[in-house]
Amino acid sequence: MSARALGLGPAFRQAAFAPKFARNQIARRTVQTQSLPPSAAEGILNKQRLQRPSSPHFTIYQPQLTWYGSIAHRGTGAGLSVLLYGYALAYLVAPETFSSANVVEIVAGLPDAVKYAGKAVLAAPFAFHSFNGLRHLSWDVGKFLTVKGAYSSGYAVLGATAVTTAALVLM
Amino acid sequence: MQSIVARSAIRSSKGFRTFATSAARSQAVPTEKPVVNKEFKIYRWNPDEPAKKPTLQSYTIDLNQCGPMILDALIKIKNEIDPTLTFRRSCREGICGSCAMNINGQNTLACLCRIDRESSKDTKIYPLPHMYVVKDLVPDLTLFYKQYKSIEPYLKNDNPPEDREFLQSVEDRRKLDGMYECILCACCSTSCPSYWWNQDEYLGPATLMAAYRWMADSRDSYTAQRKEKLQNEMSLYRCHTIFNCSRTCPKGLNPAKAIAKIKLELATE
Amino acid sequence: MSAIVARSAFNRRLANTFARHSLRPASQQVLARWVSSESGYVPGGPIYKGTVNDPTTFPPPSRTHGSHHWAFERLLSAGLVPLTAAAFVTSGTNYPVLDGILGISLVMHSHIGFDAMLVDYVHARKFPILGPLCTWTLRATTVAVLVGVYQFNTNDVGLTEFIAKVWTA
Repeated sequence: MSARALGLGPAFRQAAFAPKFARNQIARRTVQTQSLPPSAAEGILNKQRLQRPSSPHFTIYQPQLTWYGSIAHRGTGAGLSVLLYGYALAYLVAPETFSSANVVEIVAGLPDAVKYAGKAVLAAPFAFHSFNGLRHLSWDVGKFLTVKGAYSSGYAVLGATAVTTAALVLM
Repeated sequence: MQSIVARSAIRSSKGFRTFATSAARSQAVPTEKPVVNKEFKIYRWNPDEPAKKPTLQSYTIDLNQCGPMILDALIKIKNEIDPTLTFRRSCREGICGSCAMNINGQNTLACLCRIDRESSKDTKIYPLPHMYVVKDLVPDLTLFYKQYKSIEPYLKNDNPPEDREFLQSVEDRRKLDGMYECILCACCSTSCPSYWWNQDEYLGPATLMAAYRWMADSRDSYTAQRKEKLQNEMSLYRCHTIFNCSRTCPKGLNPAKAIAKIKLELATE
Repeated sequence: MSAIVARSAFNRRLANTFARHSLRPASQQVLARWVSSESGYVPGGPIYKGTVNDPTTFPPPSRTHGSHHWAFERLLSAGLVPLTAAAFVTSGTNYPVLDGILGISLVMHSHIGFDAMLVDYVHARKFPILGPLCTWTLRATTVAVLVGVYQFNTNDVGLTEFIAKVWTA
């Protein structure tokens, strides 16, 4: 019969390490243990989870045409829409100040450099958002859906944006 | 001179040739490899000291005394410099998906990512982005696995053939290529900004590609129910075709294409 | 040998049954400190609903918020392409209907875009007050903008003519 079967295993261990046997000079460590039921495990885990930090994301992720292009699409769209909404609300509130004749007059009085800069600032987002929108629509019907396709169409959009912005500014 | 001739004569009579004038000269002397020091900056956080903010710790190793992959460098650092550095790893050949992490800004597998031998630049290693960190480079992937389970990634068919195998044509089987090879490393999902902002509701590219893998399987008869589950604002439609997922997949798969196919099928059914 | 027998497992079990009464209050105190799982769930937070083996759940399906919304958004965007091209070549005052359709389409397109941003960044489940507030503000603003665009197209020269004039001013 093994010592384990008789339930004497731990007892043997304890006896082996008992200080009264001279050959064992190992000091007995006192270990503090807490008796917890198994249901306490989830609570302990959740307490640990609450301490965990969240790993960094856009601050460390490599700038790529994929996500930079996507956020640019959102940013240009939002900017142009804010302009549209802003003007429509302004016209609703004060039709005389923001009438087309008045606005055209004010713009005509601006120096040339400001006019060209203003046109560039408006034309570039419009061109980019339009061409990138076409890129998005082509993805939605199943075209250019590879990494190579996304990159080549992305560079084509950037090229078309540059050309169109120049054309619009000089118009 | 005579002894040399005699020796070579002896050797040629035995049948083998040698050009060496003495036995010692024939042994090669190994060239000393130069020391190529490379700096690694690795994200550290210790759950035993939770109040201490995560930091970037710098380690320098000799690349000529190390294997070619980032995982080799991590293991070398753990063995020789800092045993407390913690990361997941298993197969070291890019098939288990354990060592997924963000290396120099891109999510990839450490065992497949070669170390850039340019010693003037450092390599930054972060855990997968926007995940809760268990320790150092180990993210908590619990939610990722719960989401994978939610799409029921197994064959569901109420009338399987009783007397023979479940046959599938070559064309139908080809539809699964590029999707079944996913190793669930979570690189794609954690590269997606939509998943960063809405992790709890948006399923993410890995799970969505797995969902499509079962929708496209001709042997599965629950395609309609699988599609129905995605008919809400968040689970599928937080995808804005940002394309980070396919760009970063270390196995060269294309989750973006699979998601586009799901959207098209849902809209045209 | 007697010490071994005295401390054997059998004896220990005997000892435990008598000692349990004194142990129970202490373990119950400890248990009270560890709260159960469902409490502490925050959307996007580190504590999850259910156990690690429970799959995530889906909301009830609704095509209005799902595929119909997506299809409508794409069709509207696709429609804007010929509309904008037409607006470039003609003048709005000649074709007021074109101006009207363009105005409405642009405003709807902008509204859908803003709404997508709100759902992405300030969803109601994470921002119970700010989320719905932003959504309703957006809806009210869009209605006002539609009125403004209508007024502009009716009482003034119209969108296409206006842009053409300002651009060449």
